[in-house]
Amino acid sequence: MLLRNLIISLLTLAIAIPAKGATESTDSVSPLRPVFAAYTFEAGSGHLADTYLTPLKYSGWHMGLDYTRYQAMGFDPDNWTMSLQGNLSVDKTDNPARNATMWDLMLSLDWGMMRKFRPLPGLTLAGGGSTSLNAGCLYNDRNGNNPASAKGSWTVNLTGYAAYQWKIGRLPVTLMYRPTLPVTGIFFAPDYGELYYEIYLGNHKGLVHGAWWGNYFALDNLLTADLHFGSTSLRVGYRADFFSTKVNNVVTHIYNHSFVIGISGEWLSFDPRRPRSGRSRIVSPIL
Amino acid sequence: MRHIFLPLILLLGLASCHSIDEYADNPRGNFEALWSILDEHYCFFAEKGVDWNEVHRTYSARIGDEMTREELFIVCADMLDELRDGHVNLSSSFNTSYYRKWWSDYPQNFNKRLIEESYFNFNYRQSSGMIYGFLPDNIGYIYYESFSATVGEGNLDNALYFLASANGLIIDIRDNSGGSLTNVETFVSRFIDKPTLVGYISHKTGPGHSDFSEPYPITYNPAGDGRIRWAKPIVVLTNRSTFSAANNFASIMKLLPGVTMVGATTGGGSGMPYSSELPCGWGVRFSACSMLDAQGRSTEAGVDPTPGCAVDLDPMDALNGKDTILEKALQILLSN
Repeated sequence: MLLRNLIISLLTLAIAIPAKGATESTDSVSPLRPVFAAYTFEAGSGHLADTYLTPLKYSGWHMGLDYTRYQAMGFDPDNWTMSLQGNLSVDKTDNPARNATMWDLMLSLDWGMMRKFRPLPGLTLAGGGSTSLNAGCLYNDRNGNNPASAKGSWTVNLTGYAAYQWKIGRLPVTLMYRPTLPVTGIFFAPDYGELYYEIYLGNHKGLVHGAWWGNYFALDNLLTADLHFGSTSLRVGYRADFFSTKVNNVVTHIYNHSFVIGISGEWLSFDPRRPRSGRSRIVSPIL
Repeated sequence: MRHIFLPLILLLGLASCHSIDEYADNPRGNFEALWSILDEHYCFFAEKGVDWNEVHRTYSARIGDEMTREELFIVCADMLDELRDGHVNLSSSFNTSYYRKWWSDYPQNFNKRLIEESYFNFNYRQSSGMIYGFLPDNIGYIYYESFSATVGEGNLDNALYFLASANGLIIDIRDNSGGSLTNVETFVSRFIDKPTLVGYISHKTGPGHSDFSEPYPITYNPAGDGRIRWAKPIVVLTNRSTFSAANNFASIMKLLPGVTMVGATTGGGSGMPYSSELPCGWGVRFSACSMLDAQGRSTEAGVDPTPGCAVDLDPMDALNGKDTILEKALQILLSN
């Protein structure tokens, strides 16, 4: 009886929540939710270390391509926004003696939801969570049977941003800082001295590890300024990305500092089959 | 505010635990880096009875701040020789250290020209690192010089088809110093008719000298449908210079039914090599993962011939155009 009442209560709640939203949407015209998109290129310094490959720290250059997208969320566009980020990066580094090279190729995808707050005029703070998929590989060209150290992870992250709108003379500028900090998840790592040949032979034991700050620490910091010269903006910024793991007595560091440059803008798409209302208001994806 | 900063301090503290030991690029630093790399990763200390701490005491005394790179290299190479391992090398721009006594202290037991001239009159087939042909009394012969030479399935099909009418097969891997284990699998798959346990692999699970994983069984499958497999008697010929992947091949073949191993004990080299480097840029290679045979025994010291089949090449026979080891193999196959 108790179970039946609980199920009925949950069903009623499930029906009531969308019904409430539907009632509100008929009270006012649905706002337009433009998409903010930024396409950027980053270049700077890269610092790699992976004790599976070498005990030495390598340094060199870092380059990457990044796509970032924000859009207000349909269920509460004024207060919630979602973000999507894709990044493909490459590092080429040398050992201190400069007679060996280590490469790093990494692809990451991140999707998140954030609640916005507007404590002061022009300032928006947002906080929430995101989830990331990361895959890549470090490759050391001097090694024989252990030339590569594969990286793969799925993480749940804390993320947020601070965005501030101001003007340089008559030029509107949006300053934005976004950190992303993985909290937990799972990641791939072979055993201390396990060769990938053994994995190829079929020994997949102990390759997946639960992530926490003690064995997996990453922090991506992105500081940008969008200079709104027109409908398309110039985006410049700085990225500091820190990735560090220690598992099975194997330590990996991937540290990057890079200058970011690209374009950004907001765009709207309309469905020609649906009538447009002149009364529609526009909800900013970020501010 | 304390509530905000406490987690941040904790977080940075946890991340700083991911430190990496660093060594100075000077004679002492490079020596210590080399000793530590081996100390933490080398897999045969216990099996070879090497007291690595004692080795450190001995060779550390030979390190001086003013020594040249050449002098440092000699001390480091001497230290690595204590491991008595042909898979251990120190590589610099001016030299590569190499422990040679695993083969130089033994008779060579092989003369390739003797086979080419006396048994084939230089008339043999040659394909993908193999030379093959018919010996007297309808016995097939394949010489495979290096497992670094990739053998294609088509190459093996052709060789085995060509030799199909032979009453037995000799596979000569003398002076084969190894190569890729993938080629070992390609070869072995022609001599088995069902999934076969061929050995085990064990890796280090930590820096301690006894930190090893449970040996993981290695199973090879027979060559696929349409491929030619060999089911007649086989003799594998080995000498002390049969090393590494060739040693692994010998350890597998010896335990297969219908296979006899003739010649001398192989050179070992059952540790899968792993690479690292020193602050000065020298590379170091060493055994890191132990490969065991199908009975779980280490073959680092070599694989012995089948009982009663240990034979050395008699120089007098060689002068008369006879390979004593090959003659023994022919005798075994003809008596079957």
